[in-house]
Amino acid sequence: MLLIDHAARGSWNMAMDQAILEWVDYHPQIVLRFYQWNPATLSLGYFQRHADRSLHSSSAELDLVRRASGGGAIVHDQELTYSLFVPVAQRLSQSHRDYYDLVHQVFIDLLAEMGVQTQLYVGESAGEAQKSFLCFERRSPGDLILSGFKVGGSAQRRSRQTILQHGSLLLRQSSAAPELPGILELSGATVDYLGFATQVAEAIGERMQVNFSRGDTPVEIVDATKRIEIEKFSNLAWNQNR
Amino acid sequence: MDPSQLKYAETHEWAFIDGDVATIGISSHAVEQLTDLVYMDLPTVGASVSAGTPFGEVESVKATSDLYSPVDGEVIEVNSTLPDNLDLLNTDPYGEGWIMKVKLSSHDAVAKLLDQAGYEKQCSEQG
Repeated sequence: MLLIDHAARGSWNMAMDQAILEWVDYHPQIVLRFYQWNPATLSLGYFQRHADRSLHSSSAELDLVRRASGGGAIVHDQELTYSLFVPVAQRLSQSHRDYYDLVHQVFIDLLAEMGVQTQLYVGESAGEAQKSFLCFERRSPGDLILSGFKVGGSAQRRSRQTILQHGSLLLRQSSAAPELPGILELSGATVDYLGFATQVAEAIGERMQVNFSRGDTPVEIVDATKRIEIEKFSNLAWNQNR
Repeated sequence: MDPSQLKYAETHEWAFIDGDVATIGISSHAVEQLTDLVYMDLPTVGASVSAGTPFGEVESVKATSDLYSPVDGEVIEVNSTLPDNLDLLNTDPYGEGWIMKVKLSSHDAVAKLLDQAGYEKQCSEQG
């Protein structure tokens, strides 16, 4: 199943990802979703402290949502976001890391066709850079790098039978994170959301041997999203729980 | 604790049963697969847990995973030093790396857990 969504608020986007994660547990199939954010939103990694958003003043006015996945904070503004859901028999296998490289390699190939030369980060993930508040100031093997700057990163949430991997491709610099140049600033290239998402879906489908067909979001997923957004991602108890 | 004396869930948690109290942790195989653990969420003392449902979370670099309770009951103690000493999961997963103690409300779920041989067979089959 392929979903290419319109821009939505952060709590809805995260609730939709969880709703699909739960749905795939009962309807095992690979699902690929693309989405954007309106209004621009700061997302915290699952284990980040809410108080730490004070460390980043330029995003202070943004809406906030806590993700179910780990890693650092992300300013979701001028980006393409994807989520990939894969049913698995063994949720802890290290081979699941291969999905990072699979998606990021697709980004590399398609951007190269536009004349944008990105590469995977191959250094160590340890060190002070890993403590940075912003995810895009951290470095982990497999991150997408352009001219020394991180322009793409992904994280996973593993439930019992399904892996959710979601990630961001930084298309343009955001005024809420001026320290992070995007693909436009670093290369001059403009990435069209719908066109690029369609190309990415085709390429991922080829590599995973899946024929993605774009369709409407199943009603039960929409209903679950509404419930999960209220119960969790728009709830202060979740967003400020540490 | 002696790993051969423990019971194991298919989801990689172990349980040491002493009367009506179960000590719970995660297997060395799980720790190896998760790699580079950076954070852990513990349950709250007094919380109810039920077999097969999440009781906590761990984060490794780039991935967050649920931990599933292998038993039914009430959390009576947690290893509160563990989140700040996650290396204990690498060095002593069946001892100092224990996660919680549960007062069992039933032994039904315990009867469904694997012994060490069964668990190792599962791990080898899953690769």
